Amino acid sequence: MSEYILQTKGLSKIFGGLVALDKIDMEIEKGRISAIIGPNGAGKTTLFNLIAGVYSATSGEILFQGMRVNSMPAHRRASIGVARTFQHALLFGNMTVLENVMTGQHPRSQYGFLEAAFRLPKSYREERKISLEAIKYLNLVGLGMDKDKEALSLPLGRQKLLAIARALATEPKLLLLDEPGAGLTTLEKRALSDLIRRIIDMGITVLLVEHDMPLVMGLAEKIIVLDSGQKIAEGDANQIQKDERVIAVYLGEEVEG
Amino acid sequence: MFGFVKNKWIYFLVGALLAVMVLIPFDWFMGKYNTLLIFIGLNTMVTVGLCLLMGYTGQVSLGQAAYYGIGAYISAILSKTYGVNPWLAMLIAAIVTGAFAYGIGYLIFRLKGNYLAMATLGLGLIIWILFRQLSEITGGPDGMGGIPYLSIGGFGFYTTFKRYYLVWFFCLALLLISQNIVRSRTGRALRAIHGSEDAAESIGINVAQFKVKIFALSAVFASIAGSLFVHHLRFVSPQPFGFLASVKLVVMAVIGGLASIWGAIFGAATTNILSDELLLGFGELDTIVYGLILMLVMIFMPQGLFVKLKEIIVQWRSKTTQKV
Repeated sequence: MSEYILQTKGLSKIFGGLVALDKIDMEIEKGRISAIIGPNGAGKTTLFNLIAGVYSATSGEILFQGMRVNSMPAHRRASIGVARTFQHALLFGNMTVLENVMTGQHPRSQYGFLEAAFRLPKSYREERKISLEAIKYLNLVGLGMDKDKEALSLPLGRQKLLAIARALATEPKLLLLDEPGAGLTTLEKRALSDLIRRIIDMGITVLLVEHDMPLVMGLAEKIIVLDSGQKIAEGDANQIQKDERVIAVYLGEEVEG
Repeated sequence: MFGFVKNKWIYFLVGALLAVMVLIPFDWFMGKYNTLLIFIGLNTMVTVGLCLLMGYTGQVSLGQAAYYGIGAYISAILSKTYGVNPWLAMLIAAIVTGAFAYGIGYLIFRLKGNYLAMATLGLGLIIWILFRQLSEITGGPDGMGGIPYLSIGGFGFYTTFKRYYLVWFFCLALLLISQNIVRSRTGRALRAIHGSEDAAESIGINVAQFKVKIFALSAVFASIAGSLFVHHLRFVSPQPFGFLASVKLVVMAVIGGLASIWGAIFGAATTNILSDELLLGFGELDTIVYGLILMLVMIFMPQGLFVKLKEIIVQWRSKTTQKV
């Protein structure tokens, strides 16, 4: 119905007396890369958590594909196509690399306790599909060779790729990436940019929160700037870089030269 | 057990183990230990449920003996007082206990960590007190006897020899079911919850629901064991279902390795042999020994004694094969 995959209208979140987000209106276009930036404490992660369903909004609306999802729990949002990663990869440390991604197929498979307990045919059928899909996503992020390793034995950069593969395995329409570049080397960041472009080519919309300015400027077609819980600017990289309020509160201090 | 050495020897090993298990209860072999082995089997069933809940899903239960007791009492009361067929009674017990745990789980799994431990502990105590106080139907602290044996058609499980097979049939069935669950979509979801609840939720796993379901399943396992328990002893009293019993079950799970299905047998066996054979003269002091074991295992081999031994064997094997 709308070209926007995600919209927020007057979205606010108040923790105790602290206004973390103040009436945010935002539209995310389908099939594009958008980014949310802002100094520490601007409310970026809060906004992310509201979209993913970790917190519920104090007021305002969140529309996913035109549908109001305000009170939908996080796991339901994952099953209708909102996937996310975390600042810290939050991998399942008690599993292998492959199992981590297989777990991501959870909302795209059905069989439960009974089929599992008695190994009914449905469990075999789905398991085969789950592992094939998982390997597909591992290859996509370049971790195919590491599939049998313990997830936490990977170096940080690869852990973050694994987290992306796990999120992709839920077959999302919208992928939220929380600081995907943090802690990565320059080379790894370049690979990450390539990966994000390939994800867009798969027809998945990407929304990222990121501190790394060059990464955001190089990738995002639309940038939303938050400061102290308020949206102060939005536009493409050029517009943002010229915006005086943005320069004043943010770029001026952090990205000099 | 089936997973860690993947070659044809495993079939030989499993076959040999099964043969030994079949031969054990004969008098010329280990017949005099049948009663002990029956209790090891019963405890293994409860312990493996606890492993699914604690080791795989990462949720604590300090009141598991209560569900063992509920199964036992429902079976006893239905089959003795109301003359219900013992098998039907066992099924009803499992369903009622599972439904009860589901309802309770729905309420208490909002809690985490120590609070959850306290809630399960408190609930276990309440149920234990009910067993004692509802003397009109439970027989009170003195218990009730005269519970019928189980039988299939004309074949009754009248001797410990026969009941050994009955109990271990159920025990192995539950172990296999548990292993199948662990290695499935459901098992991954449970382990994901243990790994990170936020991450699990973010990939579409209904964390609250899975916790409640696995809690109910562990209660069903305990209930089946409880039913077999009363049809073995033909007597039931509150004594084996108190707080210390719950702690002992945790010790069994910890020794076996919380995240190890087959370790449950090892944990149950070690603890039962300790309490029924080695520590018999120590009276109440055995609690101290369990406490010590629990502490030592948690400090030095948090993955469990069984898993640790398994690792040592695997290491030793790979060393010897390298030399050759």
